[in-house]
Amino acid sequence: MMNQLMILRKVAGIAKGFRILPEVTVLLVFVVLSGCGSESPTQQAKSPEMVPAIPNVPAPAADVSQVTEETRQVYQWYCTQCHGEEGHGNGVNAPHLVVPPRDHTKAGYLETRSDEQLFGAIKLGGLAVGRAPCMPAWGHTFDDKTIQSLVSYIRELCDCQAL
Amino acid sequence: MRVWIGVLLLIFTSVLPVWAEPEEIERKGCRDCHRFSSKETQAVRGPDLFYAGDKFRENWLKEFLQSPTVIRKVGYITDPGFPSGKPEVGQPHSVLTEEESARVSTFLMTLHLPDFETGKVDDVPLSKGVRAQAKMLFERNFGCIACHEALNLVGKVRGGVSGPTLVNSGLRLKSDWIFHWLKTPEKFLSKGRMPVFDMGDETAIRITKYVLSIRTKQ
Repeated sequence: MMNQLMILRKVAGIAKGFRILPEVTVLLVFVVLSGCGSESPTQQAKSPEMVPAIPNVPAPAADVSQVTEETRQVYQWYCTQCHGEEGHGNGVNAPHLVVPPRDHTKAGYLETRSDEQLFGAIKLGGLAVGRAPCMPAWGHTFDDKTIQSLVSYIRELCDCQAL
Repeated sequence: MRVWIGVLLLIFTSVLPVWAEPEEIERKGCRDCHRFSSKETQAVRGPDLFYAGDKFRENWLKEFLQSPTVIRKVGYITDPGFPSGKPEVGQPHSVLTEEESARVSTFLMTLHLPDFETGKVDDVPLSKGVRAQAKMLFERNFGCIACHEALNLVGKVRGGVSGPTLVNSGLRLKSDWIFHWLKTPEKFLSKGRMPVFDMGDETAIRITKYVLSIRTKQ
């Protein structure tokens, strides 16, 4: 958050010093403030109190856990809201998001992600791993074993492994 | 003696409506969807109301019960049609008359959790700068916008629909309830569809105040 404030201050300073048109400043501020709308790597807020508690350790290795009936139920209860009932990325929230939810049946992209990266995205959320901030952190909802089984389930959906 | 009995009856009948369940609850079939006590065991097809007095603003309740609006566009979390976005239960909501609405609202405002702590969020609104930070928390850090409707910078509705809309939710929800929901949702609902967050008080207060500020009308 402090970084973002500094960016805003710099933008304001630049506008003052170089007489940038006010409209340009407003546009820049809008770009800085807009959330949930970028596929590119995102800035990580730093203020300790103002951000989700993200453990300062690498995500544990995602063991290949068994996909159980419970895994499928967890996916159906929570993940389908955005990723859809069959994982096609077409959940009820999908039409309303700037960045489309990941299609878990597409091997093309998921092959380029390691199990650890998928584990980290679920546990820590999209913003923490440089992906879309629409994906919240589930690390306080699911235990690691459940997240590992969700990674396995995504591998089942895409019928793929990490390259 | 007769006079005293008459006085006692008068007191009893005048106090009764404040805490006794109005007959509309049964007549309108409210229990088909809602629970009015945590001890009730029927299938939950709509939001629990046994903490309605902690959660809702009375004026909103009165208005809603007379002219219901859709808060959850894809239905309640247990709705069989929830995953496909085609709710099967409870829509449209029952409509009550002005008198019925007043009685039911008064009753609902008496329903509280025994250990619900009030006074966690003050009435001071966020400054413009802090509100911008809170908007970042809401949209980027916690990703709330993925499931909840809010307003963008030009006042247009945007956001997901699997959670209840938060546009004008400040007219509907009490600030302390939002705070406690963010901090300890399990106190209200054993299994929701929203992520559980490990959120500090200051963060929860800022997001609460931000949510309260998402308004198209004052």
